[in-house]
Parts: sequence; structure tokens; C-alpha cells
Amino acid sequence: MSRPKRLHPVAAVSTGLRMLKEAFFPLVILLVFGGGESGSWALFELIAVPVIILLLIGYGILDWFRFTYWIEEGELRIESGIFIRKKRYIRFERIHSLDTSEGIPQRLFGLVKMKVETAGSSGEQAEATLTAITKNEAGHITEIFNDVKRGGKVPSAIRFETDRLQNFQEEKVEKDRRVFQQSFKELFIMALTSGGVGVVFSGGLALFGQFEELIPYNRLFVGVEQFINGSFVFISIIVVFVLLFAYLAATAGILLKYAYFTVTKSEGKIIISRGLFEKRQLTIPLEKIQALRITENIIRQSLGYASVYVEYAGGSILDKESSQIMLFPLIKKEQIQVLTEQFIPEYKIDVEINPVPPRSFRRYLFRVSIIMIPITAVFSFFFRPVGFLSILLLPIGAIWAYLCYRAAGWNISGNQLQLRSRVLSKQTMIFQKKKIQAVYSEVSPFQKRTRLASISATVTSGAGPRTGKVIDLEAADSERITDWFA
Amino acid sequence: MAPQKFISEKALKVWRLTGLFVSLISWAVSAGTIFLIVFFDWPRWIIAGIILLALVFTYADIYLVPLIRWKRWRYDVRESEIEIQSGLFVIRRTLVPMVRVQHVDTRQGPLLRKYGLASVQISTAATIHEIPALDLYEADKLRRYISAMASVVEEDV
Repeated sequence: MSRPKRLHPVAAVSTGLRMLKEAFFPLVILLVFGGGESGSWALFELIAVPVIILLLIGYGILDWFRFTYWIEEGELRIESGIFIRKKRYIRFERIHSLDTSEGIPQRLFGLVKMKVETAGSSGEQAEATLTAITKNEAGHITEIFNDVKRGGKVPSAIRFETDRLQNFQEEKVEKDRRVFQQSFKELFIMALTSGGVGVVFSGGLALFGQFEELIPYNRLFVGVEQFINGSFVFISIIVVFVLLFAYLAATAGILLKYAYFTVTKSEGKIIISRGLFEKRQLTIPLEKIQALRITENIIRQSLGYASVYVEYAGGSILDKESSQIMLFPLIKKEQIQVLTEQFIPEYKIDVEINPVPPRSFRRYLFRVSIIMIPITAVFSFFFRPVGFLSILLLPIGAIWAYLCYRAAGWNISGNQLQLRSRVLSKQTMIFQKKKIQAVYSEVSPFQKRTRLASISATVTSGAGPRTGKVIDLEAADSERITDWFA
Repeated sequence: MAPQKFISEKALKVWRLTGLFVSLISWAVSAGTIFLIVFFDWPRWIIAGIILLALVFTYADIYLVPLIRWKRWRYDVRESEIEIQSGLFVIRRTLVPMVRVQHVDTRQGPLLRKYGLASVQISTAATIHEIPALDLYEADKLRRYISAMASVVEEDV
């Protein structure tokens, strides 16, 4: 049994900052748009804003003051709440994982933020967060957690000997045999080829919205000479630069977020840590892994790279990031087998994928064309001169359909099922039979005529069900997969 | 091998009744549209089209769709797995291993209650599967059977 303890005072600052961040936009709106020029309003602003900020800081301090935690009878007990007291007792056996992260306030004082996750699919109530505790303290809680997981009991007397803790950490380092570290070069490629593109697009759209009044869209369509309109060129250059900047910023953001990406395996657990400014550490018990997902977007695929994710039954619905976990952010395709083997040996990656039969290509083509042809028709008809450009969509659509068709395939080896398909990125789901929750097979009348079928399998994950699907495989193969599962 | 057991024949009645309500709504919408057409003096042939469409929908909602749905709906609860077949156009077969079942519910809405029916909902860690409209006795029996079978092999997710 230990005495109730408070978090490190930094927690108060951290809570206050968080509240301030949430209140930031309302405050700005109040300041910028609320004002008239009249003196009384200005005076109100002068008083209200500092008062609100003080209140928030006060709240942070009170919240910190009223938050206590201790360990008693194999439970982590937390009492919190300023007016309404919340007591949360979490049994160590029930704890799924302990995740630590370090934000900037925590790093300044050598502290960590610890998130306690239980098997709660019930979402927010199932977890607790210790906003700022010393590393010793975190190590101590982890130690108890590990003891309990090893089938030991919670030590009745809790000691806080730092040397013991250090021993423990050294011990741990010795046991950590397998380590994967994302190389900087690959991290850089990943940052360049990832979401940044999306940012560019959305940023671009937003900007074009902003410049609508400046760019004479209407005149653009009148004649070609307008294209060389000086102001237009000038604005385009600005836009291109802004987009480039947004792209670089996004890339830098990803670099920071995934810097020092390290995966370590230790005692049936996988520990992933990453981040330059905000360090995050995530612990995944091996048996909670539901499936493996390999994703290749077109650019990465052409460079021979892929990303590997694990679908994980922990985490909460609210925190999507913790349930869709990158195991290897970007690795060469031929390395996947070797690396996965070291961390999750159950999963076999290099197996021969049975493709879907050639006759299903027609169906892939058909599905794309019922989207593309009407779009092309509408654009060509209504936006006569420029709209004809949309005819380009047809060959693009055909290529896309072909890529989707080529990607589709399946494999069964032992107790493992692989389903591969493409929507935009090529996605391979690798299931173990004992983790699959349900298998669906679908046959439409058209598929029946050509003896084709679609198959999908679903596993659970922290963010809800995850499904892998193959469309238009041989009906006999679909049957084989259901028979394998039954 | 496709599942063999049919759901209760009374389901057909329940679905037809539901279909009736749906088609009443579609008639109300049609009436509103016809009023607008008359009011704004749009071409009258649209009215004929709307009435035809409403008739087709009514036929489908009350007769055709429930019939096909009922014919398609099959289920089999075996010792180690549950198989469900459903669908109107696309036939979907679902296979759920008994060990994956987390809990079973029976549910009864007012319509189902009136006909002495209940639906069985089977939940796994990720998915929910429904067998709609079984006789109440059958549904209860099924629920007990599945929960007994499911608890035989307990496995943590």
C-alpha cells in the first residue's frame, strides 16, 4: 500500500495549457470580431481576457491539486475531479498496456505522461491518464504491471529504490534482442510520399477559394491570351510557392513525428517508440494483434516500398492513432518477410498469391466505367470546350481498373489467410484463423453467371471492425476459403 | 453447402406490413410532388410517371422484396459455427465460428411481438449478425443453445 500521491506540478501547467489551447480560438474570435470601437467594450475585453486566462490556470492548478493516485491491493487507484469526485480503481490484471509519451513540458523536467489502457472497447471510460510523473515512477508502475503479467503478485510493500529500477532497466535492455530502427533515408522518402500530397491538394483548394476574387476565372475561358495575363502568372507563382511550402511543412511534420522510430521486442510484447519533440511509446502485447496490414500506395509501390501496420484490439475508439499502429513505416518490400519474422513469427508474408481469373477483369473495368463514363459525359456536354479534357479520365480509369484487377488475390497457408486488393493503395490483409471474427461470401446474379464471387473477412480492432476483401475471385476459391474457415 | 433452415413464415407478413408503411410514405411524397406539379403548372405527363413509379415501388415493397428476401434468408446453427445467408440481389453468406461469439440477444419490436416472433442477434468482438423473425420459442431455444455452445470454448480476444 502506498500513500496517495499527486502528479508532478508540471501537470497543472500542462492541463492549463491544454485548456488554453482549447479556449484559444473562442478568445481570438472574441477579441477580433467581438469588438466595437466603443470604450466600454474595449474595457470589457481588457478585463475579460486576463480573467479567463487566470481562471483557466486556476482550474489547472485545482485540477492538479485534487488529482491523487496510489497503488493498493493490486489496483491503480485514481481520485480526481474538482467538484464531482471521480474514483477510478483499475486492477493491474485488467490493464492492457501502458503507453508513455513526452510532450515539451514533460521533457523539460524529465517527466513522462502515462496512459493506462484497459481492454475497454467501451471507449473513454476505460482508460486513465497520468499527465506528468517522474520516469522513476513510470518505471515503477511498469514494473508492477510486468510482474502481474508474468503471473506474479503485486508486491505488498512498494519500494522506491532507484537503483533497483536501474537494474531493472539494464536487465530489460539485455533481454531486448530484436530491434528495428527506421533509417533516416527511408523516413525521408516516407515523409515525401505520404499524406503531404493530400495536404497540397486540400491546401490548394482552400487557396483557390481564397483567390477566387483575384483570379479572373471567368475570363480564363474566354481566350488563350488571357492565360498570359500578368497578374495571373504572378498569382500562380505565389500559389505554387505556397503549395510547395505546405508540402515541405507537411513533410517536416511527418519527419518530426516519426523520427527515431524504433520497434523493440521483449517478452511477448512489441514496444514502438517515436518522435523528436513529442516522444511516444506504445506497448502492444503480441496476443492482442488481430491482423497484419501491408499498404503500398502507387508512388511507394513503384519505388519498391511498403508500410506495415498491425491491427490491434486495444486502444480506444477516440484515439484512432493507437489502434492503427505502424509497425514498419516504410521498408523495402523484400525485407518485410525477414523483419516480420523477427517480431511476429506467426505471420508469413512471402507466399504465392492466387490471382483472380482473367475474366473478372471485365467486371473491374465495368465498375470503374459506370463511374467514369457519366462523369465524362456530363463534363463533355456541359462544359463544352474545356470539358473534353475529362475524356482523359477514360484511359486513366482503365489503367486504374487494371491495377485493381492485378492487385486482387488471396492465399491460404496453414492457419493464415491473405486477402489482397486495391482501392487507391494496394492493401494486403493477413489474418490468422483464430483471430477472424466472421467470413462473408457474396454472389450477385452477374457473378453467378460467370462463376465468380467476393469474399471478405473481419477482425476486431480498437477502432472497430477491420475488413479485408477480394472481389471477383473464382467461386470455387471463395468456397475453398469458407471451407478452410469453417 | 448452403444453410438449410428457413426463418418463420410469419416474417413474410411482418415484412409486408413494413412494406405497406414504406409505400404509404412513398405515396405521401408522390401526392406532394403531384400537388407541386399542378400548382406550378409543369407538364402533366410527369404525374403519370410518378404514379407509375409509386405503383412499381408499392408492388416491390409489399410483394416482391419481402418474398425474395424471405426465400433467401436461411440459417444453420451447428456445433462449431453459425452460418447465415441473406440478400436480395447479392447473396451474402456469413460464417461465424462459435468460439468467436461473445453474446446472444433476442429482440422483439412491437410488430414482431404481435406475431409472436423475435430476432436473434449474435455479437462477436467486431461484428453483429442477425437472424430476423424466428418464432419466439425457436429464438429462445437458439439463444440458449448458442450461448451454451459459445461458453464451452472460452478464448480471449
